[in-house]
Amino acid sequence: MPHAPEKRSNAPIFWLLFGAGGTLSALFGVGLILVTGFLAPQGIGIGPDALSYENALAFTQNWLGKAAIWAVISLFFWHAAERLYLTLKDMHVFSDLGRRLLTYGVAAVVTVATAGLLLAIGF
Amino acid sequence: MSERRPYVRPMPRDWWARWPFRHYTVRELSGVTIAIYAAVLLSGLVALLQGPAAWDAWRGWLASPASLVLHGALLIAMLWHVRTWFQILPKTMPKLILGGTPVPQRTITLIGTSVAVICSSALVAFVLWRPF
Repeated sequence: MPHAPEKRSNAPIFWLLFGAGGTLSALFGVGLILVTGFLAPQGIGIGPDALSYENALAFTQNWLGKAAIWAVISLFFWHAAERLYLTLKDMHVFSDLGRRLLTYGVAAVVTVATAGLLLAIGF
Repeated sequence: MSERRPYVRPMPRDWWARWPFRHYTVRELSGVTIAIYAAVLLSGLVALLQGPAAWDAWRGWLASPASLVLHGALLIAMLWHVRTWFQILPKTMPKLILGGTPVPQRTITLIGTSVAVICSSALVAFVLWRPF
């Protein structure tokens, strides 16, 4: 009897994004929060013009800056999406479709929106 | 005629809030705070696109006490994430065998955590002593 085509799971894709976001945040998250949450806004060890509009624009218009911003924002969201999805499943909150839209859906929208913002800011 | 009555282990609906699973739930939710931090960055990106006035308003909020408290909480959650992430790493990766003996899980956790300390420290050092 011929086998029916195997229905393959799409979970590995989400696991890959989850793992990438988890690793990126574990490696650089503490440093990022220290810089953008404390050092730069409070002017500790960094000049007060470090976060000026011109400097922020220059960083964001650089292709390397764009890549870093896109990777950090979108992968951090994909990481949280996977964890929240599984936790909501444990808590029996919402339907499965609702949970997917709230977690993976938000992460997908943020990924596209961040790319759009970075393109709109220009090079 | 006998009816089959298999034993069904009771499972309270709030099992995730009870010991020892509470620890697991806290770990998972610490991962969710990472998206809150990303949302802060995203709001800055929106302000940057809107222009200098919006950017300065965002910067002003970033220096406010409310932002300090938020970032303090995010930092604590992020430190917990770093700790737990590298505790999980040896359990999720294929067994690492060097010279015929498996590398102990504690060693892998220690190496991963050390690499994270180096990476985050290097980022802060790079920003403080900008070579550009």
